[in-house]
Amino acid sequence: MPGWRALLLIAVLLAAAPFGLPLYAMTLLTEALILGLFAMSLDLMVGYTRLYSFGHAAAYGLGAYAAGNLLLHTGLPLVFAVLLAALFSGVVAIGVAWVCTLATGVSFSMLTLAFAQLLYAIAFKWTAVTGASDGLAGIPRSPGPFGITIFGSKTGFYYLVLALLIAAYLFCRALVNSPFGAVLRGIRENEPKTQALGFNTRRYKIAVVAIAYALGGLAGALYAPFAGFTNTELLFWLFSGQVLIMVIVGGAGTLVGPILGAAFFLLVQQYLSSYTDSWALFFGAIFIGFVLFAPQGIWGLARRALQPRSGNAV
Amino acid sequence: MALLELADLTRRFGGLVAVDSVTMQVEPGEVRAVIGPNGAGKSTLFHLVTGVLKPTAGEVRFAGERLTGLPSHRICQRGVSRTFQITALFPEMTARENTQLAAQARHPQRWRPLGGGPVFGTAARYGDAALERLGLMPIADRPAGLLSHGDQRLLEVAMALAQRPRLLLLDEPTQGLSVEETAQAVATLAGLLSDGDLTVLLVEHDMEVVFRLAHKITVLHRGAVIADGPPEMVRADVGVQAAYLGGFA
Repeated sequence: MPGWRALLLIAVLLAAAPFGLPLYAMTLLTEALILGLFAMSLDLMVGYTRLYSFGHAAAYGLGAYAAGNLLLHTGLPLVFAVLLAALFSGVVAIGVAWVCTLATGVSFSMLTLAFAQLLYAIAFKWTAVTGASDGLAGIPRSPGPFGITIFGSKTGFYYLVLALLIAAYLFCRALVNSPFGAVLRGIRENEPKTQALGFNTRRYKIAVVAIAYALGGLAGALYAPFAGFTNTELLFWLFSGQVLIMVIVGGAGTLVGPILGAAFFLLVQQYLSSYTDSWALFFGAIFIGFVLFAPQGIWGLARRALQPRSGNAV
Repeated sequence: MALLELADLTRRFGGLVAVDSVTMQVEPGEVRAVIGPNGAGKSTLFHLVTGVLKPTAGEVRFAGERLTGLPSHRICQRGVSRTFQITALFPEMTARENTQLAAQARHPQRWRPLGGGPVFGTAARYGDAALERLGLMPIADRPAGLLSHGDQRLLEVAMALAQRPRLLLLDEPTQGLSVEETAQAVATLAGLLSDGDLTVLLVEHDMEVVFRLAHKITVLHRGAVIADGPPEMVRADVGVQAAYLGGFA
């Protein structure tokens, strides 16, 4: 695919960022990468399978609360806690997807939303595990394994996030280019036909939802020790809507696009919210602009700018 | 032994008997057409064989095994490939990618989440062979959605063929084509079927197409079989003429 050089450049720049950026900017960048991972995970469903989830915050929240509890109560090393939380989110997703894939289209989306709101309600009530409306606070970046402590520092944690994001990206890239990914593309374009060809499409959909939730859970699991706290907003429907916007503004079906979309969202939010409380209104206008005039998103625009002659690179 | 056997196959919708105890056998290598006026039960019969609908009574046997009650993707995995009455393709994929995905469905590792070079290699080989047989190689790299209607119909047949089916089910392959397109498609299909390596069950209402392609014809009328035999015999059948041909044949 085109753009490998651009991607490598971005990766190098990101790796060098801690040497050039002030501390507050590094905090923002770390959050952007976490959100980018979250948006990319949703892209597997939205961009590659045309499964619109209106409840992807569920994945993030599951990961965040699971990681929060593991770090607060078990003393498990940070890396293990984060990976375990991601796994937990993915396993829960198998059940969620089993139910949600009983329906298709808008009904599927509504079921994902219903499930996320269910978790939101539970998070409000189940004080022992979620801290209810206070959330979980004081989540540590536990050291280890083997006495490794570098992930505890801001820069160390940034590199952990960056490494996991790159690994997740390469995994997703391989996934969408595999035979499994070809089936997802078939489901995206014509599910009844894909089924008629002999693919058990529901099983593929459940699998892709589980993978998307695991990676979304990984993002949430990184957020908990990044922020040091979790709260119910991480499970709220508003956040599900925002991540969907990040995917679409960044460019659905491109993996890289949603990462850029997340960074863009965070930047605009930071910038506009220092001027006005109604920043969401302006972001809404930007979103509408993209849908109307640049449905291929930021990454689509960037690629066209990079290669003016090749026209319609897919 | 017959490859496909329908035994007393019946499907009711409320009070309507759409398919009325149909019994028939399709031998290996045979091209069998099912014809009948609108509402005769052709499509319902087709859906019963492909597993889209479940029969009220009776059963479908394929190579001696019961297919009745299996979901459609399972039936497909047994070696029954079908085309749709209304063209069903992957419009944004190229013709080659369409046949490749169809062939991938038959690969034991069709689900592989990583790697998969060998899966794609095999699928591409069978896919290209199918495109070749239907003369679609010149348009292999065009998006399926941009092909002419005639080529789209043939591409669908190519997709079924790429699966190297033991039984090929064609649902009105010339549906919606102009007279010239139909003639062209029929010529291509006749060439394909004359190789004699395929067993085909064809549902069609265009008599020209049926008499040109089929070895044997089964005539349905109000869900029941009213005639069954070689084309010339069916053409001469008085009951068929009354029910369907309106005396013009």
